[in-house]
Amino acid sequence: MIYRGEDIIIRTISRMLIPFIQLYGLYVIMHGHYSPGGGFQGGVILGASLILLLLAYGYQDAKSRVPEKLLTVFSGVGVFIYAGTGFLCLVLLGNFLDYAMLAKILHTDAAHARSLGILSVEIGVGMAVMAVMVSIFLDISTGGVLPGEEEEKQKTAEEA
Amino acid sequence: MEVTLLVQAADESFTILEKARVRAVDLMNTAAKLTSETRWMEEKRVRAIFRGARESRAGLQNFVVTFVILFVFWALLSGKYDAFHLSLGVICTGVVAWMGHELIFHNVRAGDMRVIAWRFLKYIPWLFHEIVVSNFHVARLVLSPRLPIDPNLIRYRTKLESDTSMVTLANSITLTPGTITIAIENGEFIVHALDRKVADDLNAGAMEDQVAHIFMEADHIYIQDVLDVARIFAALR
Repeated sequence: MIYRGEDIIIRTISRMLIPFIQLYGLYVIMHGHYSPGGGFQGGVILGASLILLLLAYGYQDAKSRVPEKLLTVFSGVGVFIYAGTGFLCLVLLGNFLDYAMLAKILHTDAAHARSLGILSVEIGVGMAVMAVMVSIFLDISTGGVLPGEEEEKQKTAEEA
Repeated sequence: MEVTLLVQAADESFTILEKARVRAVDLMNTAAKLTSETRWMEEKRVRAIFRGARESRAGLQNFVVTFVILFVFWALLSGKYDAFHLSLGVICTGVVAWMGHELIFHNVRAGDMRVIAWRFLKYIPWLFHEIVVSNFHVARLVLSPRLPIDPNLIRYRTKLESDTSMVTLANSITLTPGTITIAIENGEFIVHALDRKVADDLNAGAMEDQVAHIFMEADHIYIQDVLDVARIFAALR
């Protein structure tokens, strides 16, 4: 179980740094096709910012900002974007992830289509990695049972 | 016979007086408690009115300021100023600012922010001057052959109220050579000081006064309170 940290300094500084960390993670994702970085690295940075929030504030105070259900949706949608881009190229008579084929529907030349295709794949990867990172952290730190769910589980067990 | 009667009468009168005194004290205590309770409730009501007047504007202003700061950060990182990357930046900054503006600006009231930002900017040169001065002091301590240091831990009770101001003070203390903040426990700073003079400087509280002035805490006036009251009085009239 993750409890609220005692130290005011760590709590306040992490509170102020988290938006900057998140923006840096988004920057790494969005510039992945120009410079080092990309979906996985940016996703890990985004996940780390949420994990920092959880560590500094504890699960009880931070859970409204890190909704467990939304994380599941995000991991699914991320993989969907990645695979969807790949299959879209397949539908447009190219190979899997053959971005040049996207030029037909984007009305641009092949080079621009490649750049945009890589960007969309990286956004998908980033979303999935962020969500899965935080989910893994929550699962490990809570033993798979989140507080609040504990009582519900007991109730359903008793009813059964 | 008469003497015993007299003594008894005196005793009785004393007990009666004593009882009267106890009752009077009781009454006074109850009255004092009642006034303090009503005053507390009254204060709470007034505070609620103040908060309502503040929060209407504070949310939007916090969002806008966070957006601007984060967008400058993005532009510095990105270094690409074509329309495509700037629009990506606007989207990303918008999302992060929407999620995080309460994280950066926690408990900041609508009009306060400009005052605080301006005072904070003025505080930086002052802090820099402090750092240079104590730099020389520590250099003299370290370079002198006798090494006249007297390291000690001092407990330092602060008059600051909010987390942000306490952290500002703690980091300022750590930035100043010779002193390091180890922990803050319930408004009490535990500071490691290199020698007596550094500890005395800290206990004199000049730095704490400066920080209290920035965040308008302790005995430093809330400008915004006066402005808020003026607005409420105008509305009532």
